[in-house]
Amino acid sequence: MISVLVTGATSPVGERLVRSLIADTRVKHVLAVGFEPEDRALPFSHRKRLTYLPVDLTRGRKVRELLFGPARDLECEVVVHLAGNSDPHDKGRKIHRYNVEALRSIMDLADRHPTIRRIVVRSFGVVYRVSLDLPILVREDHPLNLSPSAPQYVRDRVEADLTACARMGLANCEIVVLRCAEALGPGTGSQLYDYLDGPVALRPAGFDPMLNVATVADLVLALEKATHGSGEGVFNVPGYDTLPLSECVRKWGVPALPLPGALIKPLYNLRHAVTGSNFEYGLNRHRMHFGLVLDGTRARKVLGFVPSSPVDWPMGGPIN
Amino acid sequence: MPFRPRIAQAISSLFGGPAVRDRAERLHFPDAGHGYDRFGLHPDFVALGDTIAAPMYEKWFRVKSYGAEKIPTTGPAILASNHSGTLPADGMMLWTDVLRRTDPPRTPRPVADYFVATLPVVSTLFARCGVVSGSRGNARALLEAGELLMIFPEGTPGITKPFSQRYKLQEWRKGHCELAIRYNAPVVPVGIVGAEEQMPQLGRIPTGGFSAIPHIPVPATLIPLPVRYHIHYGDPIRLDQEYSSNDADDPEIVREAAARVKVAVQALLEQGLRMRKGIFR
Repeated sequence: MISVLVTGATSPVGERLVRSLIADTRVKHVLAVGFEPEDRALPFSHRKRLTYLPVDLTRGRKVRELLFGPARDLECEVVVHLAGNSDPHDKGRKIHRYNVEALRSIMDLADRHPTIRRIVVRSFGVVYRVSLDLPILVREDHPLNLSPSAPQYVRDRVEADLTACARMGLANCEIVVLRCAEALGPGTGSQLYDYLDGPVALRPAGFDPMLNVATVADLVLALEKATHGSGEGVFNVPGYDTLPLSECVRKWGVPALPLPGALIKPLYNLRHAVTGSNFEYGLNRHRMHFGLVLDGTRARKVLGFVPSSPVDWPMGGPIN
Repeated sequence: MPFRPRIAQAISSLFGGPAVRDRAERLHFPDAGHGYDRFGLHPDFVALGDTIAAPMYEKWFRVKSYGAEKIPTTGPAILASNHSGTLPADGMMLWTDVLRRTDPPRTPRPVADYFVATLPVVSTLFARCGVVSGSRGNARALLEAGELLMIFPEGTPGITKPFSQRYKLQEWRKGHCELAIRYNAPVVPVGIVGAEEQMPQLGRIPTGGFSAIPHIPVPATLIPLPVRYHIHYGDPIRLDQEYSSNDADDPEIVREAAARVKVAVQALLEQGLRMRKGIFR
């Protein structure tokens, strides 16, 4: 029986993970952390196996108080770090502190913590570089997007990923980094979901790249496997569905409008300005030309994770 | 793609006939869940490609092939061929020939130059028919999955070679042999006779880095001449039996293996040139 600390617990993935851990007989207690006040967070029955705390992870002292306070008292052995900003238009030092420095603090503190022995970090497929001279099928050794011109959204994710990877084998606790495919769902931070959520999907004319999409259920399954597993490393977490962008759009039931790439970015910028949509074409431009599919072989062999939950496509039905 | 698989299926049924549909239905490919493999191949588009290539294969280039039984029916393998002709019709004819002459039908996975991925429509249609961009990671994944790679070690310099250089192999890249040794894949040398005369080149205009395409060829004819293609398959070179996977790291071994493949392809070309009765026959 272990106790687990979950950061970002009020996100869709976090909430579902907490539910799942509470139902897991191998878990003694879940310490859930989020931004929201207690009365608005995690509205479900927990039979005294869940403690929720609103904590501002951008403040180092709060992180210290969390880890050497409730986390130590509850004898948390595993930290599942899901906290991170999901809007690519947000920028600045505070966002960086939330995306990167919070994880760095957790790792620094965990190294001398009396009970924490394992940290599971949720990373993202967006950390990988997409280019025409790189493979479509991406393994964990694929080059990362270290472009200085990448937006903060990407740079923060890459930095957080590398911060975790750099400590593997050196820290006193085991570190697992899961580079997850996008989960199609509201509030998951999925760029593809925000793209499909519009009235029309503009896509680069003449290009139809292969994509891989996941569900929240599969990401939670992978996080659970990593929580209970042993050893450390970096693992891709692909989803069940691998399909071309055009099929994705069709199955979602949104009309597609192929346009020259140069026109798409200003139109999505306009959409962001008018509706506040999170989709940022510049972030996805290469992926919408050349594609990116995560190879989950390593996660299958080491963690025993196999994606098993297909996306519930609104316009599902026959493939053709 | 601008149209869906069922439209590709309808076109191939209408114009390709039952043989094309039969091949598409018997095609073995690793379906990633929605009818496509992870690189974008779809059997209905393979049938469409087969249909589009048929008039060229049967009527225009009147392809004759020799030794297709030497292509392994299962497991990873590499077809290494000469490359020429300004337009990649040789790749299309070789792809069609392998598809038609293997039983059960195998879709060879042509490994294309990077710039192909930047071409609208073409890149997508090619991907649906099995073409992959020439990165090491793509080749590795396909060989590990037991696929048949189609590689032109001369690359773009081969397809744009001047007419005076016909049937003279250009600089022969070595990556295919490194892959063959590392992933235990036999190499089948292929000599394509005919393509080197299909579109004689007058010159070429460098793009100066403004495009992913290295240069624009200036051919003497607007369309390929109706030369007859002769495709000769050689005996598989079992590098996988002669070397261990670790030998792929030895540059000398890889160089020597590539030289052997080059000699085998050159020998097939010379044999094919001796056998044919004329450029159009």
